[in-house]
This record gives sequence, C-alpha cells and structure tokens, in this order.
Amino acid sequence: MTVTDTIKVGAPSLAAQPAPGFHQARKRARTGFYHVGMTVLVVLYILPVLWAASMSLRTDAHMFDADQLIPHPITFEHYVNLFTILPDFGRYVGNTVLIAVVGTAGTLLSSSLAGYALARFTFPGQRALLMVILLTLMVPPQVTLIPQYVIFRNLNWLDTPLPIIVPMLFGGALPTFFFRQFFLTLPRELEDAAAIDGAGRWRTFFSVMAPLAGPAYLAMGLLTFVQLWNSFFVNSIYLQDQNQWVLTQALQSLIGRYNSQYGEIMAGVTLVSLPIVIGYVFVQRWVVRGIAFSGMAN
Amino acid sequence: MGETAPSSAQAPRSRARRREAGTALLFLLPQIFGLVAFVGVPLGVSLYYSFTHWDLVAPEPTWIGLENWTHLLEDERVPKVLWNTIKFIFTGTLSFLLMSLVAALLTYRPRRGVAFYRALLFLPYVLSQIAVGIVWRWMFNTESGPINAAIELFGVDGPQWLLDPATAMPAIALVTTWQGLGYGMTLYIASLHGVPEALPEAAKIDGANAWQRFRHVMLPMISPTVLFLVVTSLIGALQLFDPVVAMTTSGGSIGMAGGPDDSTRTVVLYMYNQMFNYNERLSGLGYAAAIAWVLALLTFVLTLVQWAFSKRWVFYAGEGAAKKGGQG
Repeated sequence: MTVTDTIKVGAPSLAAQPAPGFHQARKRARTGFYHVGMTVLVVLYILPVLWAASMSLRTDAHMFDADQLIPHPITFEHYVNLFTILPDFGRYVGNTVLIAVVGTAGTLLSSSLAGYALARFTFPGQRALLMVILLTLMVPPQVTLIPQYVIFRNLNWLDTPLPIIVPMLFGGALPTFFFRQFFLTLPRELEDAAAIDGAGRWRTFFSVMAPLAGPAYLAMGLLTFVQLWNSFFVNSIYLQDQNQWVLTQALQSLIGRYNSQYGEIMAGVTLVSLPIVIGYVFVQRWVVRGIAFSGMAN
Repeated sequence: MGETAPSSAQAPRSRARRREAGTALLFLLPQIFGLVAFVGVPLGVSLYYSFTHWDLVAPEPTWIGLENWTHLLEDERVPKVLWNTIKFIFTGTLSFLLMSLVAALLTYRPRRGVAFYRALLFLPYVLSQIAVGIVWRWMFNTESGPINAAIELFGVDGPQWLLDPATAMPAIALVTTWQGLGYGMTLYIASLHGVPEALPEAAKIDGANAWQRFRHVMLPMISPTVLFLVVTSLIGALQLFDPVVAMTTSGGSIGMAGGPDDSTRTVVLYMYNQMFNYNERLSGLGYAAAIAWVLALLTFVLTLVQWAFSKRWVFYAGEGAAKKGGQG
C-alpha cells in the first residue's frame, strides 16, 4: 500500500489538482462503460436463441422481417402445425423423459457408491482401479459402440430404450471420479461418529454421507439429465423405429423434409429447449458449480 | 505371553481389512461390472471385428485378416475425413480455448451484475447440439438468414457459409465455439479465482502492465486448467458428429450429412456411414470398427503428446507437496 501511495505522490502535480471526487468519477464511468459493453455483448450473444423463439411465433408473412424480434401479430399456428407434422410428439417427450430420468437415477446411485468406496475404503488395487477408471475417459464411445450394438441386437433390444438406459445403470467414469473427489472433501469425523453409534458402512453411507453429498447429487444429476435429454448420436443408432424416437431425433427429422417451414422448425426447437431453459433459470448455480468442481477435480 | 499378543491382535486386524475390502467390492460392483461389460470387453471385441467383414446380414463375422487396415490406407476418404477433423481443431477447438478465456477474463471479477452475464453466456451450453445446429443453419442461410442480411447492409455479399466447402467447417466451428464458450469460461473462472490476489498486485507494483501480469502471472497459475481444457476439447473434436448432422443434413437422412463435397464429413460420421451402408465391398461393422480404432489410437497419441509436452508449460502451484499424490 505504501508503495502505491508513494507513486501517487510522485505523480505530476497536475494530477493532484482535481477534487478527490475526480478519481471516483472516472472509476464509475469505467464501470458504467463495462456494464453497457457487457450488456450489449450478452444480448447479441443469445440473440440466435431469442430469434428462434421469436420466429416460432411469427406469421408466415412476417417470417423474415428484421423488425419482428418481438413478433406482431403473434400466432401459435406453427405449434399447432408441428403436432400435425409430428403427431407422436407426446410420445417422443415420454421416451426422452424415461431415458433421462432412469438413466440419471441409475448413474447417480452406482457412481456415488463407487466414488465413496474409492474415497473412503482401503483395499488392494485401489489406485490401479482409479487409474483404469480415468483411462477409460480416453476411450471414444464410438469404439465400444459397435460390439455393444451387436450385443443389444442379439438381446432383441434394438428400438427399445434399454441399450441407452442399461449401461447408464452401472455408473460412468466421470461421475464416479466426481463423487470420489467430493467425498474426499467431507470430514471423516461424521463417519467415525456413525461407526461409534454402531452403524455399518452401508447405513453410514445411506443415512449420513449420501445426504451430506446432496449438492454433489444435484449438480451431477442435472448435468447427466441435460446430457441425456440432448443426446442424439447413440439414440440415432439404437432407436431407428419412429415410435421409439427421442426429441432430438424428431427435431432432426424436420430438417430436410420441412426445410422451408421455418415457423414449425423453430416451434420444435423452442419446445425441446424450453424445459431445459426454464430449469436452467432455477438451478443454474448448481449446474455451474458442478462443472467448476469437476474441472477443478483434475 | 508377551510374544503372542501382537500376532493375536494382528489376526482380527487382517480380518477387518479383508472385510473392508469385501464391502468395498460390493460398493464398487456396479461400476466394475459396467467397466468390464461396456468398455473393457467391447474394446477387445471391436479390435477383433476390425479384422473381419460383417454386414449384419450374415450370421457371423468373417475373418479377413488385415484387409480392413490395408483398405484404410487406400481409401481416399480417410485422409479427407482426417483433414476435416484437423480443420475443425484449428478453427473450433482453438477458438473455443481462446474465446472462453476472454469471456472468463471479462467476467471473473466479482462485481454486481456479473452473475447475469455469466448465466447468459453459459446458456447455449445446456441446449441440444441438434437444436442449436438447426437455429444456426437458419442464421447462415444465404438467402434470408440474418448474418448475410447484416453483411449486405455494408454493400458486400456475404460468404456462402454451409454451402461452400471452404467455409462450411469454419461455420460449424463458430457454432460449437458459441455453444461451448460458457463451459470453458466456467472452468477458467474457477481457476482464476484460485489465484492469490497478492500475486498480480505484486507484479503491478513491480511495474508489470496488464498483458505482462496476465502472461507471466495469471496464465502460469491457471495452466493446469488450460491443459485440462486442451486435452478434453481435443478428445471432443475428434468425436465431432451432432453439429455436423444438424447443419449439413440434406434430404432428411443422416447418411446425407457431411457436405458440401464431403468438406464436413468427420471420422465419426464416416464410421456411421460405413456401419449402416453396405454398398461397398468392405463396408459393414468390420470396417467401421477399424475406423473407430483409428479414432481411439489418435485420441491416445494426442493425449500422450499433450501430457508429455505439458511438463514444459504447466505449472502446479503445490508441486512437490502432497498434491501429486492421488490426483489424476
């Protein structure tokens, strides 16, 4: 502090002349400039999203008008048409929700159990197992996909959600590592207390540690749910029967076939994205924390 | 008596240790089963498939030795799809790494309103790549799309974007950067918050300007995060698929994506083509497995190279201390 003071004193006497408010005013101007600049930037940034939602509400006559960001007149006809083009839209919602909910629940359970064991148990081969789990992060899912496809085909599971859900039930490398890192941050005293009270390791996990890991479950659960809701590649491999489609496949089917029907396409985009955007508004903090934590964990 | 005491105490201790290992195994059972059944075994089986021909019409794969692998060297689409991936790395991955760092530097200081900016910059990340691709397909539309409409305000004709082989991949790179920016930004911010404030301040007192403070103080401190993002975004770049399908599909079938003129056909898209189209002598699961293994080997080599080079430029603040212990 003293050093900077000296520098200020040493500055040309002109700088000392303005009223003490001058420095503050300049700082305030700079802050104002920052906020104006950032506001313009972020609004421009999400303009494509706003534009898509706006197009879904425009009449065809005004579809390409530049002054229609807030549509006038507003019409819902594209949403009505969408359900004519894709009469099974409700079914796609159901398929997507089923995969996302069951897949997320299964991954959370298996990965938190494994992550806890890796963080808190001592057993032979512990470090080797952790290394193997981290190494599998390098294996592209496309490599294991082809044999999996053959297995699921032989089980007659093609065109059912099982090939997507079942592997999720056995956890994943990233969530397991995430839970391990999280459990390492919790104090050991609580487990010791539970052990003194006579609780076994399972009871300790389910009644003491898992509840304490609530934030980790929430953050990882949201990330997994969003990832499953948005996934396309594996679904397009396993769910080729139109009745089994998920929402991203239904969306993808619109392009090419209905290329010029922008209103309907954007209505589809909006409907598929809206639940996630609304959810995001409420739980944004947890999603961001989860990502920051998983990145910091490395 | 005094000699038997330790051994009799040791017996229950080793029994307790065995019991602990047993319980640990139960906790780990689902994850270990998943690793074996859905990663380990399929990894080996797909390597086996890469030496076979199988179009799924035949009941069993036929062993053809190295034929798929030698065909990889002759197949002129292989260098093409590899080149497309390199194009994407030098546009999409590079811009993602740089732009998300810029976004982090703009928003990492705790100020009023900054959470709002971060939330909006992060928003595209939670949307599906298919939905985002469809929206940007419209943005890039050369007849009525907003981007070229804006460019024409200056009296210039805009590029043909997704219709021109020269600009199609950069256009996709722009979209993936736009969508992924918030993810990179979030990791950079968390990392920047870990830099002790005294460090840049001390450098400032020593007369370092803003760039020097960033280059020689902040950047070394966040280099582990940079490494993490470089490695993971390169792995992701090699697996590019969804955005290409959303932005280049014509005619409603995934098989038609990858245009114009194959300029956006990626390794994974080509693998998909070979997996489900059987109109060529070798196409089928076997050749697709060989392509997938090329992808795996590329991933492995790239990651190793990154890791080896990282020793030169990545700085771990707690080096030598317990930090190196159990951490990946």
